[in-house]
Amino acid sequence: MTRIRFTRLAAAATSALIASAALAACSASGGGASLAANGGGASASGGTPVKGGTIVYGAEQEPPCLAGGWVQQAYIDRNILDSLVTEASDGSIKPWLATSWTVSPDGLTYDFTLKPGVKFTDGTPLNAQAVVDNFTFWEKGGNSTAQVSIDPYFKKAVALSATHLEVQLNKPYLPFLTMISQGYFGILSPASLKRSTQAQCDDPIGSGAFEVKQWIHGQELILVRNPDYTSWPATAVHQGPALVDEVDWKFLTDPVERYAALTTGEANLIYDVPTVDWTSAKASYQVTQYITPGKPVSLFLNTSVGVFTDARVRQAFAYGADRKAAVETAFHGVIPYEGNPSVSQSTPGYDAAVADAYAYSPAAASKLLNAAGWTGRNAAGYRTKGGKELDVKLPYPAGSVVTAEGATLLQILQQQWKQVGFNVTLTPETMAETFSGVYNTPSSYDAQPWYWTSPSAAILWIVWRPSTKANPNYNNSSFYNNTELAGVIADGNTATTTTTADKYYDQAQQIIQNEAAAVGLYTQTTSIAAADNVHDFWLEKSQGEPVFEDAYLTK
Amino acid sequence: MSIVGEATVTTVASRRPAARPVARTVRRIIVKVVTAVLVLLGAASVTYFSQYLVPGNRATAILNEQQGRAQQYSAAQLAPVNHKFGFDKPVVVQYLDYIGGLFRGNLGTSYTQFKPVTQVIGAELLPSLVLTVCGLVAAWVIAVAVILLTAKRRRFISALGSTWEALTASLPPYWVGVVLLVVFAVEIRIFPVIGGTSVLGTVLPVLTLALPLAGFLGQVTRDEFEKVLDEPFITTARTRGMGDTAVRLVHALRHSVLPAVTLSGWALGALVSGAVIVENLFGRPGIGQVLVTAVNSRDVPVVSGIVLVVAAVYIVANLLVDLTYALIDPRLRDT
Repeated sequence: MTRIRFTRLAAAATSALIASAALAACSASGGGASLAANGGGASASGGTPVKGGTIVYGAEQEPPCLAGGWVQQAYIDRNILDSLVTEASDGSIKPWLATSWTVSPDGLTYDFTLKPGVKFTDGTPLNAQAVVDNFTFWEKGGNSTAQVSIDPYFKKAVALSATHLEVQLNKPYLPFLTMISQGYFGILSPASLKRSTQAQCDDPIGSGAFEVKQWIHGQELILVRNPDYTSWPATAVHQGPALVDEVDWKFLTDPVERYAALTTGEANLIYDVPTVDWTSAKASYQVTQYITPGKPVSLFLNTSVGVFTDARVRQAFAYGADRKAAVETAFHGVIPYEGNPSVSQSTPGYDAAVADAYAYSPAAASKLLNAAGWTGRNAAGYRTKGGKELDVKLPYPAGSVVTAEGATLLQILQQQWKQVGFNVTLTPETMAETFSGVYNTPSSYDAQPWYWTSPSAAILWIVWRPSTKANPNYNNSSFYNNTELAGVIADGNTATTTTTADKYYDQAQQIIQNEAAAVGLYTQTTSIAAADNVHDFWLEKSQGEPVFEDAYLTK
Repeated sequence: MSIVGEATVTTVASRRPAARPVARTVRRIIVKVVTAVLVLLGAASVTYFSQYLVPGNRATAILNEQQGRAQQYSAAQLAPVNHKFGFDKPVVVQYLDYIGGLFRGNLGTSYTQFKPVTQVIGAELLPSLVLTVCGLVAAWVIAVAVILLTAKRRRFISALGSTWEALTASLPPYWVGVVLLVVFAVEIRIFPVIGGTSVLGTVLPVLTLALPLAGFLGQVTRDEFEKVLDEPFITTARTRGMGDTAVRLVHALRHSVLPAVTLSGWALGALVSGAVIVENLFGRPGIGQVLVTAVNSRDVPVVSGIVLVVAAVYIVANLLVDLTYALIDPRLRDT
């Protein structure tokens, strides 16, 4: 089952080499990706089930701490912590720790009934007060991704009895249940919340199917089965504690190593198959590709300072390069192009027509630039206006968000933008620069790629809410403040039906695209390849968190 | 290296009464220890300030790292982090706190793992030392074997040896590693892809480090070795009836390895940086990986801690080089 042809890996090795002088071993690619496909990923038939055993999972990036608001943390936490609700593959919300719930007619009060008798692995009861404590923790910024996902709608949570709690909202928030189905909303033991940051980082305590056994930094995290597990979600394949004894979550940063580990059988399944190996992986393994919902990888255009303050220049930038063909080339046809800059094609409420705007047209770009006054051309061929060159500073988070292939894409686009007169300067940011905020101020860039995973179009509110002095929105990286846009997104969030909500979200997508406040590139895409003897492993729907509680191996 | 100069002086000194050289040795040891401490402090200070001067904000980095973002934060959001890690104190106070901590064996607290740096590094130190020391030893074994077998042999064989050295010395370690991995772990499944710290899993990482270094050490030694084989004392040894292998091993090698021994002190330090690549490729824990992660996340205390460790390795390595000199060259023994 795990035969390998030399040519395949040699090709991988060579291309890895060419693509990545800098990437080499040092870069950790894929900042906060996500994979996964709705309930039921990999499974095949045949073979005798192995009792217990260890599943070896070749993951990629290692978070320094297991607690936090990064998707790589949520991947792990999903297996340790349980949430109130979960999202099924059809997008509906299903019971988990909450066996049922009611929503008041005004949409302001959610009344949850908890599964009785659930215990955290530290022995304390998972009751309504424990859930309330977690809501308080999130709202205070204990997990900032959880916080922005319910802000400013969340008002308070109140325990009514041991198994009943009420969540009160300030305003109706239709995507509320969908948003809290993300791994960031895993319920921690209140005792665990009171421990030191270090203890929380190394060993979060929940009620999940697994708990942390050992973490050898730089190598692997070993999760051990919780034998007393009682609180599986409605979407689980089987009822009962996990089938395997342990999950060996290995951090295999290097793509060549990761794929080699699968081919030699040292890993049962791997995350993020290198695109050069995708075709051969499809032929030999069970593969799943997960297109992350939320904001795709798109370029934020700085609308507050510089050349992109003029909408016509932004639109010209969108017209000025064949983004679709360039994505196809750079990612070997594996990762889809995404022309919609605000939500990706797997997000509920996505408008496909919006994605078709700004099809490659140098003529259209030229016309817009002329209209905007960029009529001159200097010796180097770049456009000028009043002696000033049409310069675009485009730093990109190399390694963390933009992989070596993503960098290739930007280089292809740079050449095409040059034809229409843009002088685009690409600057790879080191991770330290990215995270320490060297490139997050209006004066530091004109365009910058980024993505944000989210199961709902409510991501529009998180990213595009206008920034005010009293309530700044630092996620709005285009520095684009548009009250009309904010209005329709808010209307979408508070709508009473999905149809109405989608109508408003659609308007929001159109405004962002018409104004070219961002330019679409490609979907944040991840993949899993599993050997044939891995069964009932699946990726949950909200952001593709890998789920191991149902998985088992066969001989 | 001032060894040779001092040797001349002490040869004279050794004729004096015995007490004086002892005092002299003690003084020399004290000087060496003080120098070592100063070098370490210097390394710590330079690292500390160079990271301080890098643009960007540490508190922002800590928050972004935790949330997987790259955004700005308000002063109110940054304040608790600044307070927790003492960034709100004047730089000089922060620096003195740090240096003071060093003398108490406290290297600070990691900004990303929130645990003492000694713990972060401690767990990873042994695998890295095993890797680098084995890498150095393996490089020497390979280099010496190739020299003994090919230097000053028939033209074809000598050319083969020096070509091999030139080739391996110029190979990038990542490429060597990938090729070894594909050939010996995937095609011929002798070794594991994910080696961890097992003995079998250490072989390919060690070879990845050793091959380029062996080529380099071999190149340095070969010239010297061939020159020595032309020396009159070699002819003398041969006329006494000594066999070719013995001549090469006992006489020629001893005279020609000094340059390579000198370079080994440097090489041990260089291997630590090579270890970064190897550790990533073979999924092996070690300080190389920790260093890259720490640099990426601006985890200043961890970076400084690792720089201190590497500086210490350099100091120890150079001390060993000095001692090895004395072993190889009897003229230096009295010192």
